[in-house]
Amino acid sequence: MNWTRQAREKIAVDLAWDKLLPSEQPIYVSSLVYSFGVFTLSSLAVVIVSGIIMAAKNPVWYQVSGLGAYVRSVHFWSVQSFFFFMTLHLVAQFFMSSWREGRGATWIWGVISFALSVVTAFTGYLSRGDFFSQWNQVQSKDAFNGAGADGFLNILNNGQVYGLHVSVLPIILMAIVGIHLIAVRRRGVVPPIGTPEEGDGI
Amino acid sequence: MKEWAYPDSRRFKVKDFDLIKEGTVSLVIITIIILIVAGFAGAPYRPAITNQEIATRDPILFEQTALGYIDGTEDIASYGPPYNYGWHGNVTGVQSLGGFSPQTWWGAPYPVNTAKDFVLTPLSKLAMASGNSSLRSALTTYQSAPYAQQMAWNNQFRQALSRATASGSQVNIPIGNYGPVAQLMQAELRFAQAGLLSGVLNSETNQGVYRWNVQNDLLFLQGDPLHQIAGNINMLGEQWGISHDEQSYPGPWWLTPYTFLYQVPPWSTIPAGDQLAAYTVLVLVLILLFVPWIPGLNSLPRVFPVYKLIWRDWYRHQHDREGRRQPV
Repeated sequence: MNWTRQAREKIAVDLAWDKLLPSEQPIYVSSLVYSFGVFTLSSLAVVIVSGIIMAAKNPVWYQVSGLGAYVRSVHFWSVQSFFFFMTLHLVAQFFMSSWREGRGATWIWGVISFALSVVTAFTGYLSRGDFFSQWNQVQSKDAFNGAGADGFLNILNNGQVYGLHVSVLPIILMAIVGIHLIAVRRRGVVPPIGTPEEGDGI
Repeated sequence: MKEWAYPDSRRFKVKDFDLIKEGTVSLVIITIIILIVAGFAGAPYRPAITNQEIATRDPILFEQTALGYIDGTEDIASYGPPYNYGWHGNVTGVQSLGGFSPQTWWGAPYPVNTAKDFVLTPLSKLAMASGNSSLRSALTTYQSAPYAQQMAWNNQFRQALSRATASGSQVNIPIGNYGPVAQLMQAELRFAQAGLLSGVLNSETNQGVYRWNVQNDLLFLQGDPLHQIAGNINMLGEQWGISHDEQSYPGPWWLTPYTFLYQVPPWSTIPAGDQLAAYTVLVLVLILLFVPWIPGLNSLPRVFPVYKLIWRDWYRHQHDREGRRQPV
């Protein structure tokens, strides 16, 4: 079939191994700024592993047992690290206007990842099972209800909030982060502003 | 393969690079730092508040709250969608911006009738479990009385509560004509103090067994009891509540732009402040999303010299090269 061959050829070009795992980079790639994204991903990996351990046990375990509290602490600090580096990454990419030369979609997927991470983290705060969860649950209900999300979401239903936090949202987030990464590797890193060859188009 | 794999390799000189190495080193360092910080610093945790705790520590506040569920003065009693359609025509929890109120589109999918669900049904279960015929007849008296009579008892009992005194976890109510209301409230108080009220509230939203949906248990406390505790630790909305954690831990600081809205008008003053804040954040996200295509915003990076710092090696390199090209 024609479209399958075209798809195969497009994938072979767009997602060539040497793009996904490059062995060389343009010479202008020379700053710690380029590592913020990798630090964000590393933090996300710790978030996911610690989250999986907590999900494999149960919400009471991470509130009452010493080991559970430690894993919850790892989850907490990895989330802090994740948002810290993600924010640095976002700000740096903005000041590099990294959307130039056909990289608009990369920016879009990155911002969607950021927004989705905020929602995912919020459902996590509600799953902590302590006063903070309780309080933010009853406080945020007016916002979710007022905005019209009440048709889908009962923020006071821990079954729904926990399910969203440990399954639905992380799966969507990982897919979008994956698309963002492929977009980054497909286009390569953006050339510096003001280089003779630089184009201004998006 | 390499040529089309690297569009920029034809425009710029390249240098050796190992992405797997960078990723591995980063993952190892980040993981070690997090494991160490997690061990030393721990994570914030404050045990959840229970009905039992409130009822024991502040029995008058508890009875005022419970009374609010049968006289309709608690917010949830008159909230409106998604929980109910208000209290005898009075709706207090619905937000609307110029008549636009999607909150009401779905009806009441999570139904709460506070008088029945928070007080009368739990007490009838208590009466049945304990074989308490006096409580059962008090319930019958209250439920068979006309609404005006119920409210007259409720109002008198509310006034009595403002003069009541607490000795320990007991409430001493002045003598008065409250019909069966005093007995109902005292029974509700003891039921909560025994730790059993939460169980009944939870069974109402969980088909009797599982505790997935804690809606009614949380809604019971959501008024003054939780607000007083939250206020003591600076976690109210007007105290930037949701964006900081308690104690000295970092909180969800990434919600700061959202909580900022609650500190300033019109968000802090209009009744539909929550609704307006949610839509404002949505608009801000859309702006961030489309920054590359928004004139003005997309040229800000050229105004600020941050990029010169990030690519300083490259610009120095360019400068040197151009310098060498100059005729001697």
